[in-house]
Amino acid sequence: MKAKYLSLASRSMQNSLAYRVSFIVNMSASVFYILAMFFLWRAIYAHRTSLAGYSWNDMKAYLLVSFLSSTMLSWYSESRMSSRILDGSVAMELLKPIDFQAARLAETAGTTVFEGGVSAVLVTIVLIVYAGVMTPHSPAAWIAFILSFAVSVLIKFGVVYISSLFCFWTSSGFGVAWARAAITNLLSGALIPLAFFPPWLRATAYFLPFQGIVNAPASIYLGQATGAAVWGTLLVQVFWCVVLWFLGRFVWRFAVRKVTIFGG
Amino acid sequence: MSLIEVRALTKTYRQAVRQPGLRGAFRHLVHQRYTERVAVDHIDMSIERGETVAYVGPNGAGKSTTIKMLTGILVPTSGEITVDGIVPHKRRMENARRIGVVFGQRTQLWWDIPVIETLSLLRDIHEMPAQEYRKNLDFLTELLGLDEFMHLTARRISLGQRMRADLAAAFLHSPAIVYLDEPTIGLDIAVKERIRGFIKQVNRELGTTVMLTTHDLGDIQDLCRRIVIIDHGRIIFDGALAEMTDAFARERVLHFQLRTPCPTAEQELQRIPNVTVSGLSDTELSVRFDRAFISARDITGAIMQIADVSDFRIDEPSIDHVIKRVYDGTLNLAVRKGGGA
Repeated sequence: MKAKYLSLASRSMQNSLAYRVSFIVNMSASVFYILAMFFLWRAIYAHRTSLAGYSWNDMKAYLLVSFLSSTMLSWYSESRMSSRILDGSVAMELLKPIDFQAARLAETAGTTVFEGGVSAVLVTIVLIVYAGVMTPHSPAAWIAFILSFAVSVLIKFGVVYISSLFCFWTSSGFGVAWARAAITNLLSGALIPLAFFPPWLRATAYFLPFQGIVNAPASIYLGQATGAAVWGTLLVQVFWCVVLWFLGRFVWRFAVRKVTIFGG
Repeated sequence: MSLIEVRALTKTYRQAVRQPGLRGAFRHLVHQRYTERVAVDHIDMSIERGETVAYVGPNGAGKSTTIKMLTGILVPTSGEITVDGIVPHKRRMENARRIGVVFGQRTQLWWDIPVIETLSLLRDIHEMPAQEYRKNLDFLTELLGLDEFMHLTARRISLGQRMRADLAAAFLHSPAIVYLDEPTIGLDIAVKERIRGFIKQVNRELGTTVMLTTHDLGDIQDLCRRIVIIDHGRIIFDGALAEMTDAFARERVLHFQLRTPCPTAEQELQRIPNVTVSGLSDTELSVRFDRAFISARDITGAIMQIADVSDFRIDEPSIDHVIKRVYDGTLNLAVRKGGGA
């Protein structure tokens, strides 16, 4: 990677340290959300041992992965991307010898390293304190999960980046971000596992990139995907990651005309 | 060839026409109507290496639109631009390496990290050799007094400090051209002077070409030998500042203080063609005249014969007065081109 993007990532990490309090508040919101989900599912599992192939233990692990995913590339990174477009500072970016998309990725990466660090600590605490949560079966599965999780963040970046570009046409970022979040949360499996969906929706979800954000890493974590299926899952994730990157470039080419042709 | 060449440069924007009221808003949803607004209308300009040019005009005249096209972030509707042999909007990245830009209303500093971190980030973005960075940073630090606040975050520093830091950011990578869009807006006189001193010195020592838009006429007087005035998207004057004042600031006002009241003086003077007289009191008179038609000597001579003058002074119009009148449309400058070429 070029030094300029590394440098950008490092400044972004420093910058996010200035927002550590806001991050903690944000993260505690995620914690409360996941607690609510935890108690909801516990009530559901009170009188049954298995639901759509998920045991209560599976479900707890699933919630953990979903929580981890929600803490990465949080609201902060998303709103930074959209506000850059909305407040017109995108023009300043165009005045630098730097690729807009790569620069946004570098910034997001810098912030995500910080977010990831905090989440890793939280998750370790949960795993130690609450021994009932299962972990991947083997070191190989751990590695596969970490890889899959890393790619899932890149997919999330692709989705968030493209949706932010729609801010060139809207005059507010909220609607775009909310719509984006609603679609992603449903189709990624962040709200409920895809296995609970009606067949037609499940089939649709598997054909879309969103499942690579929560469903794919969760299936590796839970050991639902083993052997060749792990490779298959990872490949599909990488495929979407690449597709979204180029789709992002394509949308950008149109979006930037709002500035370069129509003057913002 | 000049460093910046602009030929018949035009930019039109499409503007939505909305009828008033709720009905108009609904109608716009269904049926959009647009009108074309010409922001920049066939302008020509050449700027030589090392020049400092003031680009002046009332709000909405097309200054920023021109600057945006020169920097490559806005695509012209028609016409040609070359900057250092490059068409800016076609090779935006390459152009970006050679230019520095300050938009007075914006900052390129990172808000929550120390100023020096933004500068070292720019070093990496422009892929500067360590030695050049060191040299430029020392130079800028000395001229702009950056060490006062270099280790503070941009959020914590004052507006004047922020502008100094933004100037450092724009000049850091030794750009050939720097565009300054209202660099002294909202600053106090001490900071303004410091910034003007800085721009002059960089221009002199490094030969950086500077194009500056401003509403502050002190900036123009202090920095620029050449002034380009744009209004309604057209260049209405391009030439030396001194030439403009000579040619268009011909109006003078003579103020007379009389020892004894002289009620007839006003009438007498009014008979001279091309002058306007206003009596402020019995013993005070002001005479406005055009230097091209009558001299101050003639007027003074005339009044001496009828009244007992104890004191007088003469007011010359200031440059802002001239420019203000140009904006108002009361003074019509003939288009002059190629003042700096």
